[in-house]
Amino acid sequence: MAIGGKIFWPLISEQINHTDNTMIAHTIFFYTFSLIAIISSILVIVSKNTVHSVFFLILDFISISCLFIMIGAEFLGMIMLIVYVGAVAVLFLFVVMMLNVAQQKNQWFESRVGYSHMPLGLIVGLVILLELIIVVGGWKYKPNLILTSSISIDQKVTNTHLIGNVLYTDYIHLFQLSGMILLVAMIGAIVLTFRKRSGIKRQSYTKQISRERIESVELVEVKTNEGVKIDD
Amino acid sequence: MNNLNFIYPEIFISLSILFLLIIGVFKKKSSDLVFTLSVVILLIALGILIKFPSDKEFFLFSDSYKIDQLSTFMKIVTLISGIFVLISSYKYIKLAKIIDIEYPVLILASILGMLVMISSYDLIVFYVGLELQTLSLYVLAAFDKNQRNSSEAGLKYFVLSALSSGLLLYGCSLIYGFTGSTNFALISENIFSSDYGNIFGIVFILVGLSFKISVVPFHMWAPDVYEGSPTSVTLFFAVVPKVAALTVFIRFLYVPFFSLIEQWQSIIIFLSLASMIFGAISAIGQKNLKRLIAFSSIGHMGYALAALSVGTNSGIQSSIIYLCIYLVMNIGFFCCLFMLKRENIFFYNLEDLAGLSKNHPVISLCLLIILFSLAGIPPTAGFFAKFYIFISVIEESMYFLAIIGLLSTVISAFYYLKIIKIIYFDRPKEQYDKENDLGLKISLALSTLLILLYFIYPDSLINLVSKISII
Repeated sequence: MAIGGKIFWPLISEQINHTDNTMIAHTIFFYTFSLIAIISSILVIVSKNTVHSVFFLILDFISISCLFIMIGAEFLGMIMLIVYVGAVAVLFLFVVMMLNVAQQKNQWFESRVGYSHMPLGLIVGLVILLELIIVVGGWKYKPNLILTSSISIDQKVTNTHLIGNVLYTDYIHLFQLSGMILLVAMIGAIVLTFRKRSGIKRQSYTKQISRERIESVELVEVKTNEGVKIDD
Repeated sequence: MNNLNFIYPEIFISLSILFLLIIGVFKKKSSDLVFTLSVVILLIALGILIKFPSDKEFFLFSDSYKIDQLSTFMKIVTLISGIFVLISSYKYIKLAKIIDIEYPVLILASILGMLVMISSYDLIVFYVGLELQTLSLYVLAAFDKNQRNSSEAGLKYFVLSALSSGLLLYGCSLIYGFTGSTNFALISENIFSSDYGNIFGIVFILVGLSFKISVVPFHMWAPDVYEGSPTSVTLFFAVVPKVAALTVFIRFLYVPFFSLIEQWQSIIIFLSLASMIFGAISAIGQKNLKRLIAFSSIGHMGYALAALSVGTNSGIQSSIIYLCIYLVMNIGFFCCLFMLKRENIFFYNLEDLAGLSKNHPVISLCLLIILFSLAGIPPTAGFFAKFYIFISVIEESMYFLAIIGLLSTVISAFYYLKIIKIIYFDRPKEQYDKENDLGLKISLALSTLLILLYFIYPDSLINLVSKISII
């Protein structure tokens, strides 16, 4: 059952016999993508138009998924593309466009009032920076976990292949049941939001064409001083 | 994978859910047809389940799915109660105008989830089954879109249940982290009380499960949800999910956590005591019958848990018998509720029952028997249910639990008898509709007869249940 550890194990650079050229290309790509990721994530906060923010968020997700693919976690990268870019970000975009918040100006850098948030924001930022430093320190002085690990990695088999091997054999019932859960979620969303509106007039060509004079025209005898009631 | 025929009921139900959806898409106004078909599907699933009986234990899908006496019996109970819930509520669903093709489909999906939960022998399988079950129940609770109460019930149930699922998952992750496996058998090998993580995990899992069967102090959602959701859904809530949840309780307590019985026993005793007392006392002031039945179900779950806390096979068996009799009583009670209608309006208040015996002697007699049974007065089935519970509790010389249980039975007898007094001695109100459909009549007659005549041959149920042994 303990296959879980195998899947997301990152490839360790010492174990791969790269030539220098590929290493250089690798480094160039890494810095390009990380630069794009950092810049676009800054632009997400800074940009004044909310729609632009969402677009930068999408760019950020894409470059991060490229980074994932570069370290050999191609499944994670693709899932990132599909889930975050394909579903979540597009959902954000819809919400932003529907709520029409793009019209509102970003108050952060413009109004005088906005600066009252600054100290709180700076404190939060500082705390996150400290945490990052601690994380990096922990990474640098980590015990030799990887070298003593007994898990053997077959470099030729990809992550997707491995996950597929387990998902469609040992966990097939869970896979199918998750499908049922998604189906129920879909049915539920439809049931709760779909409303049949009564009294809508729909056009039906066959009805219009097959209409006869007898059905629609009627000779009414009008009495004096009483009139006729039409279409009540 | 050779024993796939043991999960034919699950496979059949999942395929028929898809089939019913397709019928609903391509056939106009097919909600009646889909409803009838869903009853037929449950009947066929029941037939398949009885056709492939399991004398031995079987494990499927690399030991994560267990077929044994307990699971087979509980699945049969789930399917039978599901069938009766559907049959008896058909007319109500039509009159309340909530008959859509999605209604029976969601009920089927939730029953599928329960079947998975009952058989689960692995934390992940258990959670997936639970999620499938509760997700359908959220939607069912909010099904009546024209009633604000129904939407409120759905939202309340969703938020609180999601919270409890979170707690449950946290417990599962702790157990997985400290024992190194999600499989129940492996967990029971590797669980030690010296690791505090295990005890924390057990506590969180028990909290999450208690939410699902609404025992005190995790009962807050039950009265509101029972009152707000459509009555047919309330019946479903009160009956079917309890079977699966109690089975999961038994499995969790007696397979993976059994070596830590000293740790969880006091928790279960507390839950049971609190819900027995709370269910008895807080039901007294209730005016709405649906709310009242919610509090009564809290109390009844307390009795079922009391038998689980003793840690013996006879305790488990008496708890299962209690559950079965509880289901029959609740179905009967709700059948009577479905009959209280006048010009397509249903009545749920206590005063609407006033003087019912003058105009509707048969319904009143049935209600009398059911209420006597709920109160635990001999010779009805409810008495025997409580009797078995107290025997197995006293056998392990847990006298305190038995005394408190008996006391709260006496307190709860007060409000059941109060309803009987209102039915028989108060000034009669207007007459209700005399005509009721056949399914409703059959369910009411069957449940009343079962309750009344149980004492003639109690061995029939006892023999079935006595085959179930976990420890």
